[in-house]
Amino acid sequence: MARIVLQRLLVSMIRFAAAGIALIVLIEFAFCVIGGSDLHVWKPDSYGPVPPELSPRPVSWAGLLEDRVRVSLPVVVLCIPGILLIGYSWGLLGARLRRFRGARLLASPFSLFACVPGFWFVGLVAIYSYFHWRRPGFANDLVVERGPDLLTWWHAAIVALPALAAGAAWQIRAVSDVLEKEVTRPYLRGLFMAGYSEEDIFYRNAFRRALPQLFAISGSTLSSVAGSLVCLEYAFRYPGIGSLLVESVKLGSYGGILLSALALAAALSLAVLIGEVAVKLIRPEGVGG
Amino acid sequence: MNRRNSRILRGLARFFVRLWQMRRVLLLVVPYLLLLGWLFVGGGRMDVRPAELYGIPEEPAWESPDAEHWFGTTGNGADLFELSRLAMATSVSVAVVSVSFGIALALLLSMLFVFDPGERRFKLVRIVGQTGFLVPSMVVLVILTGGTGGSLGVAILGLILVIAFHLCPVLADWFQEGESGFDVVAGYVLGLSRREIVMNRILPKILRRLVGVFAGYVPVVVLVEMTLSFLGLTGDRLSCGAMIAYGQGLIIEAPWMSIYPGLMATFVVFVLALLGWRVSAALRTGPLPRLF
Repeated sequence: MARIVLQRLLVSMIRFAAAGIALIVLIEFAFCVIGGSDLHVWKPDSYGPVPPELSPRPVSWAGLLEDRVRVSLPVVVLCIPGILLIGYSWGLLGARLRRFRGARLLASPFSLFACVPGFWFVGLVAIYSYFHWRRPGFANDLVVERGPDLLTWWHAAIVALPALAAGAAWQIRAVSDVLEKEVTRPYLRGLFMAGYSEEDIFYRNAFRRALPQLFAISGSTLSSVAGSLVCLEYAFRYPGIGSLLVESVKLGSYGGILLSALALAAALSLAVLIGEVAVKLIRPEGVGG
Repeated sequence: MNRRNSRILRGLARFFVRLWQMRRVLLLVVPYLLLLGWLFVGGGRMDVRPAELYGIPEEPAWESPDAEHWFGTTGNGADLFELSRLAMATSVSVAVVSVSFGIALALLLSMLFVFDPGERRFKLVRIVGQTGFLVPSMVVLVILTGGTGGSLGVAILGLILVIAFHLCPVLADWFQEGESGFDVVAGYVLGLSRREIVMNRILPKILRRLVGVFAGYVPVVVLVEMTLSFLGLTGDRLSCGAMIAYGQGLIIEAPWMSIYPGLMATFVVFVLALLGWRVSAALRTGPLPRLF
């Protein structure tokens, strides 16, 4: 097991380094080659201290990252487990009810919600909050100074909800597609002919053999969720890691761009690493690839 | 006389039979034409700038939604419903252009590997795909468009690259799946060259599925384009994203200016998503008449 973990960790680090290099090239290309900026990304002078627009108090880059990650954490805590829980359980149920097009039915409320532009939804919440509850609507308008800070979780939930809907819709369909593909394999017909019950065939054979693929599909879902959080946080004026990226891009601050993009890449890298280790450990005998 | 009548009747009957045979295609094409026709009527006014429209004059002439102006009006009295429609037309145009070129680029890149007979010919595509997922597409688009100061051309370029990047591994999988078909194996046994098999057996099936991919990608790209314009990264162009962003500055005075463009955007994206889902489902499962 240690060998597998170390091996995947090495691969993950190489991938992360490649993603970092790709980011540096992208920033140089966007800002210097097309944008015509004189500040090159590899020069230390291009970074400097944290601009005051990115933080109300003087902090170092590490302190800024820590602050923003701490603010984004509740969103991630609400969003990612929600997507995985709904995606896997409803996807499994959808594949089980494939005769009644279960996956489509179960994913439809989330797909419908995913058609709503997330930045508009969070703006609507802010407007509703202002006119009906008579309090500032956006996340940066009010700070709780005394008592339990429920407002933080409310703001995190507003940001997490559109991302969760889109991610869950995608995950349900992806999980169900993998399982539906698995149950069309010829060996299952053989099991059916041999007298196995439908539950036995689905849960003990098809599901178990599809587990590696099921773990592998969450990487792309998490990547798209991270992308949607970038604009949702900015739209709701939620000072997390996503809005740090947009604010840094607008200010042309390479430090903020690299810090936020690499933080997102590191989080995704960790998620992919966990998924890959799990795939290696649970791969049933006889499943190739 | 009788013969002439019967010929007309026969022609009519053939016409209706053909229509009936094409019912599934028409059910998909007609709503698309209606939606696009409705969006693009009056496209000559697409050069309007949201910064001018949402500027507050000394005596604002805005009106809240009523029977005459369903979505209300802007500060200078422009009808918000018409503006939202034109904005969606811009977003759909951007999406159609980006997805078309993105799919073409992805196909071109996949074709660089597909003629190689080696077992691991798509390995490079897969490795790049797995690494690329670590940097979300939205991050790439924000950096690319933001670094250049925000322009629609760069946004389209970014969208094309991102679509091609995501589609390449999918196409690689489809090419490999296609090669395991019985007809392909039979082609190899009969001595057909790899080029003949790829061009005549595998590629037509993939091209057919790409129509569904196109229909499925368009609503997603419309949403992404609106998001970029909301962030102010596509220049001063009319888009529902930009309208919502400008409208948020007037939440107290004229809240409808940020509410109703979003409603229009949701409606158009929903219809496009529904149609896209139907097109891809039809192309994946059932046979369609030759017209398609």
